Amino acid sequence: MAKVTAVGLLVGLLALPVLAAPRQDFPRTADGHPDFSGVWQSLNTAHWNLEPHAAADGGVPQLGAQFAVAPGQGVVVGGRIPYLPEALAQREANFRNRLSEDPEGKCYLGGVPRSTYMPYPFQIVQGDGTIAILYQYATGLRRLTLGGSDEAPLDSWMGWSNTRWEGETLVVEVSGFNGQTWLDRAGNYASAAARVTERYTPLSPDHLQYEATIEDPAVFSEPWTIRMPLYRLVDDGYRLLEFKCEPFAEEKLYGHLRKPAE
Amino acid sequence: MTTTRCLPLLPLAVCLALAGCSEAGQPRTSWGEPALAGVYSEFTLAPVERPVELGTREFFTPEEAMAYQQRVLEAADQDDETVAGTPEDVHYDMGTFSLSANEGKFSENLRTSIITFPANGRMPPLTEEAVARQQARAALRTGHEFDGPEFRSLSERCIVWTSTLAPILPGGYNSNLQIFQSPGLVVIQGEMGDPRVIPTDGKPLPGNLLPQWNGTSAGRWEGETLVVETAGFHPAAAWRNASEHMKVTEWLTRVDADTLEYRFRVEDPHTWAEPWGGTYPLTDLGGILFEYACTEGNYGMANILSGQRALERAATEAAATEAAP
Amino acid sequence: MNRAVTHRGLLRRHLGRLLLALTPLLPQALLAHHAFALEFDVNSPLDLTGTVSKVELINPHSWIHIDVKDAEGKVVTWMIEGGSPNALVRRGVTKQSIPLGSALHVIGYQARDKSPKGVGRTITFADGRELFFDGRVPGAGE
Repeated sequence: MAKVTAVGLLVGLLALPVLAAPRQDFPRTADGHPDFSGVWQSLNTAHWNLEPHAAADGGVPQLGAQFAVAPGQGVVVGGRIPYLPEALAQREANFRNRLSEDPEGKCYLGGVPRSTYMPYPFQIVQGDGTIAILYQYATGLRRLTLGGSDEAPLDSWMGWSNTRWEGETLVVEVSGFNGQTWLDRAGNYASAAARVTERYTPLSPDHLQYEATIEDPAVFSEPWTIRMPLYRLVDDGYRLLEFKCEPFAEEKLYGHLRKPAE
Repeated sequence: MTTTRCLPLLPLAVCLALAGCSEAGQPRTSWGEPALAGVYSEFTLAPVERPVELGTREFFTPEEAMAYQQRVLEAADQDDETVAGTPEDVHYDMGTFSLSANEGKFSENLRTSIITFPANGRMPPLTEEAVARQQARAALRTGHEFDGPEFRSLSERCIVWTSTLAPILPGGYNSNLQIFQSPGLVVIQGEMGDPRVIPTDGKPLPGNLLPQWNGTSAGRWEGETLVVETAGFHPAAAWRNASEHMKVTEWLTRVDADTLEYRFRVEDPHTWAEPWGGTYPLTDLGGILFEYACTEGNYGMANILSGQRALERAATEAAATEAAP
Repeated sequence: MNRAVTHRGLLRRHLGRLLLALTPLLPQALLAHHAFALEFDVNSPLDLTGTVSKVELINPHSWIHIDVKDAEGKVVTWMIEGGSPNALVRRGVTKQSIPLGSALHVIGYQARDKSPKGVGRTITFADGRELFFDGRVPGAGE
């Protein structure tokens, strides 16, 4: 009996860092899980650069300080992204060409995890058996099936998400990326082989902790993790508005094919 | 749903004929609302508009419906070849990609049309104002159809697919949608469209709506039925020539485990002299919707514009050659 | 040979034949995503055989890239346009369904700008097998 108790205590102690205690003050679904439904947004400069960065020129002189890069402490656990040497060269090339090559400028979907920390709100719709995440930017949508475990049939921009609960944490395994998204405006990137594990955990009634671990042996020497709070939008009557940026990217995408002026 | 069963249509047809169709023992969400979530096919074997010669006749007999159904499917599967060297032949094979007749996922339907009012089952004629608007738009395009992306259609530009705006009417392929539902919220996403966010708390639409391609929606429950009001459309959406003043009301009711009844009403006095609307079933698709990232893969827009530039260059060169001594 | 359908062709062929003058499919069906005859040249027919070097099962249209050897043995990569893959996914097609290196036979039309692009009117494996599905509409002719 004492042995069982000791083992039980050990297991309990080991489990403590992994499983947060259920909060009394966070909304719950009928089956007792946290209910993440609502509109959320990150508040940081991760969309500029996941790594720590000083203030910097944005590279568009006409916009001057409006498009300058604000400083940020970074969101990468451990500070730096562990690129393989040849992959770092690609990141540097991305950075040099960012004004023309960043998919964000083309109104292309942000992928995962970038869509989470783009400077726009997103809405989690947590229903029975299915969760949808609607991103204001480019009207992106992800379908998360609870309990799914299958592989992506085809590659996609927003990936293929399989979801499970670990106590208070919603864990989302994402794969099946097409390798065409970036991770931020600084040219950080992953390949189509990337596997992303997201973790959403309540921090307070109006805050979540968001973590995403990125594993991609083609690009990084080891898996690495970003971590940031997400903030609930509590404005009265807040609605997720539509941000269809396709018309605003047309000149960038097709201007060179326009009929020349006579 | 497959095509060979016709008799089970009768209860559905009766159901569709009545207002407020509902059944006892409807499934509920875990928080107690009628459960509407699912993935559905919009494709149905009734045309949007009733053939003129049918007048005010709303329903086929089951035998007529079977015969019509067969003709629709055979038309989609027709044995005629498109003739090589004709414009019709310049297309990929829909069947190879399983896109014909919405991949066989459609609802049987005894109705002679989706539109049920006005009584002739057809859209009312456009008002003079709408015709003038349409002509003005066409005039701006004439002679400039390939000058730049802004002269191409909204679907070529990957901005909206009019088959996914409110009211939802089935289109050529990928005529499917998914409904997500959480407490106080319903989201409808057409397979090729944007998500429509519909609060279901019963609050009315706000005034001073910002124009949105998908409009702004407000929902409320009336018993088993979700009632959705949508307005505030972007003026350039021009769904079937509508103005930005178009208001759409939709009713969604679960009929059985596989079926929702979808009813709609369209009003826009700037476009049609009278409101119009109709109904058709949404049936369980038995499959998932896959990501429709349109602008990301839109090689076609670049090809169309560059093709036109090539034609223009060739014409200029030919003229220069002719003019040369 | 050239089976299957364009919706515009449908309306022309069948309006006269149906007992009731019905729109066989819905008016929206008449509007293709875009007019292929504007992107590709009806006067530039293609008959190509090549090996698959890239498969883009994407929206709004799929593109299959094939390496084609010309008479001198030079290899040109052609991009061949197909349909949306969404229905294929529902019928079990995956990105493994067309292995790289497969030999494909394409009959179609070349891009208007004369680049190595075309629309595949029929795409089959070079050994005659269907690429994905045979195009029969479920329920027709039963």
